[in-house]
Amino acid sequence: MHPTKSGRWITQTVSSTYLSEAVAIWFRDLRSEFRTRYAVNSILMFALTTLVAVSFSIGSFRIEESERPFLYAVLLWIILVFSALSGLSRSFVKEQEAGTMDILKLSARPQAVFLGKLFFNLTMLGALGLIIVPAFILLMGYKIKFPGCFAAMMVTGGLGLGAGTTLVAAMIAQADARGALFSALSFPLLLPLIITAIKGSERAAYGISAAGWPEVKIAAAYAVIMITVSLLLFPLIWEE
Amino acid sequence: MCTLKVTGIGKYFSTTILFKDISFELNSGDVVAITGWNGSGKSTMLRIISGLVRPSAGQVEMFCDNKPIPKKSRRRYVGMVAPALSLYDELTALENMEFFCRVRGIAYDRKSCFNILERVDLVKHAEKICGTFSSGMKQRLKLVQALIHNPPFLLLDEPGCNLDSRGIKSVKNIISDQRSWGITVIASNEKREVDYADSIVNLSE
Repeated sequence: MHPTKSGRWITQTVSSTYLSEAVAIWFRDLRSEFRTRYAVNSILMFALTTLVAVSFSIGSFRIEESERPFLYAVLLWIILVFSALSGLSRSFVKEQEAGTMDILKLSARPQAVFLGKLFFNLTMLGALGLIIVPAFILLMGYKIKFPGCFAAMMVTGGLGLGAGTTLVAAMIAQADARGALFSALSFPLLLPLIITAIKGSERAAYGISAAGWPEVKIAAAYAVIMITVSLLLFPLIWEE
Repeated sequence: MCTLKVTGIGKYFSTTILFKDISFELNSGDVVAITGWNGSGKSTMLRIISGLVRPSAGQVEMFCDNKPIPKKSRRRYVGMVAPALSLYDELTALENMEFFCRVRGIAYDRKSCFNILERVDLVKHAEKICGTFSSGMKQRLKLVQALIHNPPFLLLDEPGCNLDSRGIKSVKNIISDQRSWGITVIASNEKREVDYADSIVNLSE
């Protein structure tokens, strides 16, 4: 890329794929997040506050041993879901507020924008899971009999959660009452996933013979369906 | 050879008619100025041509080498500068350029980006966060962003806005260079910018 004497830039075009555009948007979002730390602060503060509150008030000894796998699964997913909702809703809103939405529309294909934002949200969720899940297990004394199944539930549940929140975040970006709308739209969309993830985590903790896997498959199917539907619908949301 | 064909374009908001039945055709080398009172829809017209906004009536067609450009591919052929288009304030000028190169599928080369920034007098500020830039410096960077992929259709909404005399000269050079191979549409009421054009479309008439 270099300018000619007449002033025109000479640019060398390389192949542009959905993936390369999505990766460019993902890296740009990570770079911006590294500078502003808006989503990280919001997600981590919410997660740590609720985790500490739960561990101090309930701890590992106030609940009957037999009830722990179920109640701990509920508490863990409540912390994860609400922490994610507190930060990930802003992935598109920040573009709208900064006035960069139009420049992004002019630069990248809609599906690439969705994928880039999804990669970013999944990165945030991954970081959240890596900090909160081990901390929760340690602080609450959460015993998991099938750790592999539990980890698979966390990954597939996280994928579904990331896909759902990214789509809703795109839908609310141009609305006025964003906060209320995000909750109202997320609730019915994420409820089946949350119930499945709680059930799967509970079964993995109880150690019911290979019984966690159906929920893992349901959550994986949910994530695949959500991502596919989002890729089909997103251009309609993105373009006026 | 590229052609921009605007046929019977109208934009209505509820019962308010912003403009209606606007038609013109431009070929490579043409420069047109869109003028009109405040609120007459100059910026909206540019947004319709770029594909950012759907018209209420009419259609915009683009052709290159007699082949129609589908709407979904239009972004590769259009470069736009407008007050409403913002760059990423939390990134440096160079990082902004890197992003637009990568997202548009252009080979990113740091040295070449420095050369381009030198042409708009931003080389000293290449590694500074854009949030600290003056409005004139941001406008220069917006011009670079619009030209980085060599678009045959250049849409300039008040291009001289916030620029000093050197910046205005850069705009003049950009338009005269674009004239040698592409199409330029300028939305402005500034006499100096309107004078760059060969023809005028007045939305207030």
